[in-house]
Amino acid sequence: MGKVIVCRCEDVTLEDLRQAFAAGHRDLESLKRFTGLSTGFCQGKCCAAHAGRFLAELRGGDDMVCDPTRTRPLLHPTPAACFAAIASGEAPDQEDA
Amino acid sequence: MPARAGEPLAAALLAAGVQVFGRSLKYHRPRGPYCLQGHCSGCLMRVDGIPNVRTCQTAVRAGMVVERQRGWPSASFDAFRALDWLSGQGIDHHSMFTSSAATNRLAARFVRRLSGFGELPAGEPRPPAPVERWQRQVVVVGGGAAGLQAARELHRRGVRSTLFERQEVAGGRLLDGSDSAGGDGQGSWARLAELHRQLEGSENLELLPGTTVVAVYPGDRLQVVAVQERRTLVVEAERLLLACGDYEQVRLFEGSDLPGVFAVRAFDRLFYLHGVIPGEPVVLCGDSPRLLRLAGDLVAAGVEVAALVSGATRPPLPAGEGAFPLVPGRLPVRASGGRWIERLEIAPAPSEPADGLFDCGCLVSEYPPAPAYELAHHAGCRVDFDSACGFRVVVDDGGRTSNAAVFAAGHCTGAMSLEQALEAGRRAATGMAESLSGGSGRED
Repeated sequence: MGKVIVCRCEDVTLEDLRQAFAAGHRDLESLKRFTGLSTGFCQGKCCAAHAGRFLAELRGGDDMVCDPTRTRPLLHPTPAACFAAIASGEAPDQEDA
Repeated sequence: MPARAGEPLAAALLAAGVQVFGRSLKYHRPRGPYCLQGHCSGCLMRVDGIPNVRTCQTAVRAGMVVERQRGWPSASFDAFRALDWLSGQGIDHHSMFTSSAATNRLAARFVRRLSGFGELPAGEPRPPAPVERWQRQVVVVGGGAAGLQAARELHRRGVRSTLFERQEVAGGRLLDGSDSAGGDGQGSWARLAELHRQLEGSENLELLPGTTVVAVYPGDRLQVVAVQERRTLVVEAERLLLACGDYEQVRLFEGSDLPGVFAVRAFDRLFYLHGVIPGEPVVLCGDSPRLLRLAGDLVAAGVEVAALVSGATRPPLPAGEGAFPLVPGRLPVRASGGRWIERLEIAPAPSEPADGLFDCGCLVSEYPPAPAYELAHHAGCRVDFDSACGFRVVVDDGGRTSNAAVFAAGHCTGAMSLEQALEAGRRAATGMAESLSGGSGRED
């Protein structure tokens, strides 16, 4: 058997998720922190739904998946030059959602 | 390398027969584009000295220097791929080299080198982009079916809106070739033309293509941060309508990350917009009428189609019946090949043994796209999970989210048809217009 790659950016396999789940990581945020899932270039655009399905199946329903991982700006990788001209203290207020 | 002026670099590379765009971080598996929407990491390359450039979002120019980023001696032939062969189901790095702090430090340095975090950009750093601060009543994010229809409805009600579209041409799904057909002139291209006609010259609509919204900050007034090629916009908005669509996905199975496996809309764009067939024979997997239409169009264009594999036991018959085998009741379970997909195995179910094998030059894998829920999440809107698509923005019939200033419509709220997306855009715009005028709503 070869690998089933769930997260292509960080090479996280389905087996990695199974082991993490068995080790007690039973929500997405915890799975993410343990395996590195969703922490790469795409920030989960290509793996969050797959990982959610994995959790839904093991936990017995979509309602049990609960929250996605914490979402933070930026949505897309963006050159720092786009923000370098925003003077410090002048940036938009960071408020906890 | 020859290319057509203006086409995406990734399309030009695929047309020229390039198979490996890069290597993955840990196992050095070959990587290539699969979404062609600028969302996945498959097409990243070093372009003119800048690392991690999305080649699917970069127009090709004469004299561009394009390099693969990872792998030794090269990304095309990468000796570190041996890690992948030797590691079976994976490497659990949590317990490796943890016997002492010194071993751990040494290993960390070695592993960093091995996985290749890339090289810094060459040349002078890019100068800071000027930042402009705007105030707008209504900001619409996304110029696809739902966003354009919402803008049209707002325009009809006399509400001014500012629409940010990431691509250079607004249209989203309405641009898809396989949805463009329609004997009654109601195909997606006809609808797009109609929407453009209705919105052309509208003083109520400020349409900004080539503008990517990267953040939403909630507060007394929402702040939307959008970047363009030459400037950054920080926009204070009274209302926000999210119609940011979804992300292409492919079915998950062994080897489904191989180059040559494409999401339907990615392949759609390659074929219909750019005239590129990245490999033959083509195998298609899925059940939708549009996939059958795509298969028929491929055959009509002289492309070799090995099979259409459908999970449904009785799929609708394609127009070109007999031109290619239609395999019902089967799912792809294993893709194999060195640097590109070469073979595809199918089975009655993921847990059952394979009972079919196809030579495969390219796989078109249909799978529900995942809603782009993140911007709504930035704004504190409620998000839930649905196995049919993924995480999605929760809305009521009027497109209202749990944040009173934020509305959402279309595919960021879940799976739906093109018709439903258009209708959702109209409803969200109506709901928003009513909220602005204190509930009465103004009809022109």
